[in-house]
Amino acid sequence: MTALGYAFAEAWTSIRRAGRSAAVSIGTIAVAFITLGGFLMASVNVQRVLDRWLESAEVSVYLVDELPDEVRTALELHLRQQPIVAAVEFVSKEKALARFEADFPELQDVATAVPQNPFPAAFEVRLRPEEAGGPDVDELTAGLSGRDGVADVRYDRRWLTRLTNVVRTAQLAAAVIAGVLMLGAGFTVAAVVRLSLHARRGEIDIMQLVGAPFSYIRGPFIVEGLLLGGAGAIVAVAVVALAYTAAARWLGPDLAGFIGVAQLQFLGLREAVVMVGGGFGVGAAAGTVASRSAR
Amino acid sequence: MIETQGLGKIYGRGLYALRGLNLTIDKGEFVFLTGPSGAGKSTLLRLLLLQETPTEGEVIVAGRNLSRLSRHEVQAYRRTVGFVFQDFKLIPTKTVFENVSFALRVLGTAVEQQRRRTYQVLKWVGLQHRLNSFPEELSGGEQQRVAIARALVNEPQLVLADEPTGNLDPDLSLEIMNLFREINAGGTTVVVATHDRELIKWVGRRVVQLEHGQLAGLAEAPK
Ligand SMILES: Nc1ncnc2c1ncn2[C@@H]1O[C@H](COP(=O)(O)OP(=O)(O)OP(=O)(O)O)[C@@H](O)[C@H]1O
Ligand SMILES: [Mg+2]
Repeated sequence: MTALGYAFAEAWTSIRRAGRSAAVSIGTIAVAFITLGGFLMASVNVQRVLDRWLESAEVSVYLVDELPDEVRTALELHLRQQPIVAAVEFVSKEKALARFEADFPELQDVATAVPQNPFPAAFEVRLRPEEAGGPDVDELTAGLSGRDGVADVRYDRRWLTRLTNVVRTAQLAAAVIAGVLMLGAGFTVAAVVRLSLHARRGEIDIMQLVGAPFSYIRGPFIVEGLLLGGAGAIVAVAVVALAYTAAARWLGPDLAGFIGVAQLQFLGLREAVVMVGGGFGVGAAAGTVASRSAR
Repeated sequence: MIETQGLGKIYGRGLYALRGLNLTIDKGEFVFLTGPSGAGKSTLLRLLLLQETPTEGEVIVAGRNLSRLSRHEVQAYRRTVGFVFQDFKLIPTKTVFENVSFALRVLGTAVEQQRRRTYQVLKWVGLQHRLNSFPEELSGGEQQRVAIARALVNEPQLVLADEPTGNLDPDLSLEIMNLFREINAGGTTVVVATHDRELIKWVGRRVVQLEHGQLAGLAEAPK
């Protein structure tokens, strides 16, 4: 405990003395973490939109006109028996037309101009979210296509899956870039720690000669790295939060209409904690590496 | 207390700084190491402090073979040894009080005890009125007394001093030597390397003369 208190006190003195170079290293760490935080935030929001879309993704089973009731009932029963199906709703031709009229009132004339109701009846099949995108869905849709009374099967999830893959790839690339930036930030912190190690060479020699334990000799430098890294990450979280507030204010309403999500979301608590924890971690690691010679 | 057997030290691939040194110093002795420049006095003290490792031979201090110590044992050993250098080696950014209490602090000593003990030794070297001064605000003699206070603060069994009066005028040198005599009177073994023949004569203790890294003669100085 005394070693820890000592390490923090000495590290604090050292950071104050380092002044500008400490600020530079906090800045570098912050830039790395702002990049990471930006990616994280973008990815959290994109993921949210995707999830929303995925959740509402349904299999539409369009039926041929003039379908006998027993065939329809048999089909509905078949759908309801599928383990991956959460709910089945029948949309009659009339209901489909009514929906269209409600959704696009300015096109009402078009619909009424056609002599008979052009909309087919359909089953709207909602899948269990955890199954959406799985191989069972493909199997189900394939089986349905050939079935008696089925005109067409549409699954809007398919392109979503493709989109998800694109997003995954982008996220991976972002992670790599963030990793590289983090490594750079680590090197900066290590350089600053090495500077203070240099400045305190005489002190270290004396500590070694009085038989100070390694925790006392190296502790302050590890803590210095820890504090620099943590400060950088906290600055980054604050900057990302500001950017988020601004984005939500100026872009939020427009985006919300476009992507169908009520509001943009800030980093989750988990992401913020991971960022700050990562900052402390990278800093401490850099401090540990830089102070290897002090033993 | 100290025993060396065939102790040798070669720096790099060069000449022997110490060669085949067999030396015994008893517990509670006060010994001067002397000899011409380059004779190996500092080298011997560095070996005793484990700042260097011997090229050949053994150093045994208080029953411990110094070449066989683990890292932790080296730390434990150094806590039983006080050191004083010609250039004082004080930390410029710390006050007098901190420079001395530092040696206790890094050993995890309780704060209250650090304070009491630090004040005690600083009072003993006559600097209780300069506790909050920084080293650069002190004279050479005062700085050396701080260094001696630091060497003594954790009550070592052995004190090693390498030309502790090298930068000081004769009066101050005598003052410093008196401090070493007092330390020694308390039972602590003291080894002082110096060129100063006057000082050796004045203190009147055992003298170990080195020449080219070897013993030149064991002589009892006149009492
Ligand atoms: N780090 C070193 N590297 C190479 N040679 C060294 C080193 N330290 C000491 N020496 C050599 O070892 C020999 C003994 O040096 P040492 O410092 O022990 O002498 P000394 O008796 O303390 O001399 P002085 O009275 O001048 O302080 C000298 O020849 C010196 O040049
Ligand atoms: Mg010397």
